[in-house]
Amino acid sequence: MSRTARRLRYVLKRLLQALPIVLAIVVVNFFLLHMAEGDAVDVLAGEAGSATPEYMAELRAKFGLDQPLPVQLLVYLKNVFSFDLGYSFRHEMPVLDLVLDRFVPTLLLMVSTILLAVGFGIVLGLLAATGLNTWRDTLISIFALVTYATPLFWVGLMFIVIFALNLGWFPTSGMKNVAAFNDTWSWANIKDVAHHLVLPTVTLSLFYLALYTRLMRASMLEQAGMDYVTTARAKGLTENRIMFVHVLRNALLPVVTMAGVQVGALIGGSVIVESVFAWPGLGMLAFEALFARDLNLLLGIFLLSALLVVAVNLVVDIIYSSLDPRIEVG
Amino acid sequence: MKITKWISGALTAVTMVAAATAARAEGGTLVMLVQPEPPSLASYLSTSGPIGLMAPKIYEGLLDYDKDLQAVPSLAKSYKVSADGKTVTFNLQKGVKWHDGEPFTSADVQFTVMEVLSKIHPRGPNSFREVESIDTPDEHTAIFNLKNPAPYMLRALSGYESPMAPKHLLEGEDYRSAPLGNKPVGTGPFKFVEWKKGQYIRLDKNEDYWKEGLPKLDRIVGRFIPDASTRTAAMENGEVHYGAYGAIPNIDAVRLREMDSIGVTTDGYGMINPMALIEFDTTEPPFDDPKVRKAVSMALDRQFLIDNIWFGYGQPATSALSSNFGATGLHDAEAANYPSGPNVDEAKKLLKEAGAEDISITLDLIPYGEDWRRAGEYMKQALGDIGIKADLRYEDVPTWLKRIYADYDFDMNVNYFYQLPDPVLGVHRHYGTDQIRQGTHFVNSSRYSNPDLDALLVKGAQEPDAEKRAAIYSDVQKILGDDKPVANLFEMNFLTVYDSSLKDHDTSALGAYGSFSEAYFDK
Repeated sequence: MSRTARRLRYVLKRLLQALPIVLAIVVVNFFLLHMAEGDAVDVLAGEAGSATPEYMAELRAKFGLDQPLPVQLLVYLKNVFSFDLGYSFRHEMPVLDLVLDRFVPTLLLMVSTILLAVGFGIVLGLLAATGLNTWRDTLISIFALVTYATPLFWVGLMFIVIFALNLGWFPTSGMKNVAAFNDTWSWANIKDVAHHLVLPTVTLSLFYLALYTRLMRASMLEQAGMDYVTTARAKGLTENRIMFVHVLRNALLPVVTMAGVQVGALIGGSVIVESVFAWPGLGMLAFEALFARDLNLLLGIFLLSALLVVAVNLVVDIIYSSLDPRIEVG
Repeated sequence: MKITKWISGALTAVTMVAAATAARAEGGTLVMLVQPEPPSLASYLSTSGPIGLMAPKIYEGLLDYDKDLQAVPSLAKSYKVSADGKTVTFNLQKGVKWHDGEPFTSADVQFTVMEVLSKIHPRGPNSFREVESIDTPDEHTAIFNLKNPAPYMLRALSGYESPMAPKHLLEGEDYRSAPLGNKPVGTGPFKFVEWKKGQYIRLDKNEDYWKEGLPKLDRIVGRFIPDASTRTAAMENGEVHYGAYGAIPNIDAVRLREMDSIGVTTDGYGMINPMALIEFDTTEPPFDDPKVRKAVSMALDRQFLIDNIWFGYGQPATSALSSNFGATGLHDAEAANYPSGPNVDEAKKLLKEAGAEDISITLDLIPYGEDWRRAGEYMKQALGDIGIKADLRYEDVPTWLKRIYADYDFDMNVNYFYQLPDPVLGVHRHYGTDQIRQGTHFVNSSRYSNPDLDALLVKGAQEPDAEKRAAIYSDVQKILGDDKPVANLFEMNFLTVYDSSLKDHDTSALGAYGSFSEAYFDK
């Protein structure tokens, strides 16, 4: 069997395996969310100030909340299998529209964060490993430890105080200047969004940066003790060549795997960074949906996140086997 | 030659700068904090706070109210109440158009009040309960025919409380899910343009507004910023110009008020009258005994709560009614039967008489922010001093609402109620036997029932004579002071924090829930 055919078979097999996983996720989420006290009608009526019991019963009937749970689940599953994620009664909008609308800001934040964190993580880890036990290594390790241990919301607020309030370099929050209303694809708008993106990205990156730095450092050190390094040294290669060509390439593998897994996790958005910087991503949407008991919306977000994690994991496995020919799929 | 050119260039620059400044005084974009993001903009079916911030810029009511809480014309040019109080005639403004160009007429008034507000608005069925029918002899006259006199109704006609909705866009639709809810069309100074979920709502100036020369602003943008500290930073940085109803927490507001560029006011809440209070479960021991309820009320130091948790913003409650009702003579200072300070010995004595020493209860806290948690921690201590062991419970909003108003599964609950511009609108719902409505939020969850009081409440609602009405409410306050099914804590002062170059945002008694048609930047 050719390599391509084998790979295709593998992908199909993995997709088939994913089906029951996703189904189980939907069912478990469904029951988990329904265990919470109160429902969307309670929240809507509570916010409105007061409402008659008749009105609330009417709303429950309209939302389908008066049906027994198993019936509600079946209806939901039926909709999902016809690619309909349902309707958010709170927003009076289809769930899919809401989620897609928030997906772009989330993607922006996620991609820039991963790039920044992985890029700097690799460089810092490399610097630490090549200068093992020198002041450079100590400094980088301390930096990684401190950023990893500092709460994100505190970092975010401190950045706002320093860079927005005191220095005035960046806006405090939001995704664009709301007084301007530039056209979406105009240069002014792109610059504006990029300007707003800096602080949330740096804040969120700091946390992941620490992770990649430590991973990269450990991975470099592990590879440096391998037999092939001794062989290379015996061949008379320079230390630089051994470090940057042989060790570095091998040390990158775990970092790439980790990055792949985290892409999936980051798609769910970061509630903390999004709420501190008022970034209109999926994390905030999910958070608000929970407190509004907007279960259709919440289930939709969970389902999409689950699908993406499954897909990204599959892609990572395939990339992994391309990077390292010793790893076979199948 | 060169010099003249330079001079003329400089002159042009000066005129341009002058023109720019003039343009800024008239116009500009006001960015206001709206928190949390509203579920819709359908103010005709929800009185939710964030809707109240945005919708009154779009929709208008028949009347507005000035700073002294007196009625002033809005969509109604004038009104006349008949001698028996049972007919109210409104003369409507001429030449008013909906934002889509259709004319506003008396048919819209009739439809909005009879079909929408009286039926699906949370408070409308109460405000308009005496309205039997509305006659529309011509396009600019609406005659309300009442079953009984309803003096309080004339205080519930603002653009926030009773917004006039377009008949041509709602009729035949399901009012609750009509597209109008997310894309409002009103008669007000600002038109709805765009709602970017998770970010902002944008309203632009209504060029065809019926009030000559208004509005002064070009645009109002409502921004959603979930984190309170970030809201404060955005205000400090000048990115937003206005935040009301606690958008900026008191702890930050007391810092910001020292800045020249920022103003802080407690004005603009006179029609809302928020009152912090404790609801008791009066059907079960230990709180079925008025003595125990009184003891709790007596144990608490109201001024301590105000000074230490709300940074001095608030006044201790003196009776069941807010002292703001003094403006209409309904608050009886003589019936001020609430303790001015804590009296531990007296409270202990009451508990002893009631045979309720060393009891354990659960204290539920309204889940609307950290201040209430801190208040709960104080109360736990204060109650401990008189021998009541209180466990605090702080849940999320849906769980809490269900517990208090649907399941009645509580001992005592800290809450706050809007007493609104008239007791009939905001206070009756707490005490009337007809207000024991399981499953309905913010009504008589104490399940207090007293036929004497019920009779007084009915009389109070219908009495057109101001003096007689004051006497009735004086009795109401006496009964409630003795029985205390609800122990009022303090009259809350919400804070509005604003950019000090923003002027005339506070011309209406509605404050942040006003139309902002006269607001402008003076830079």
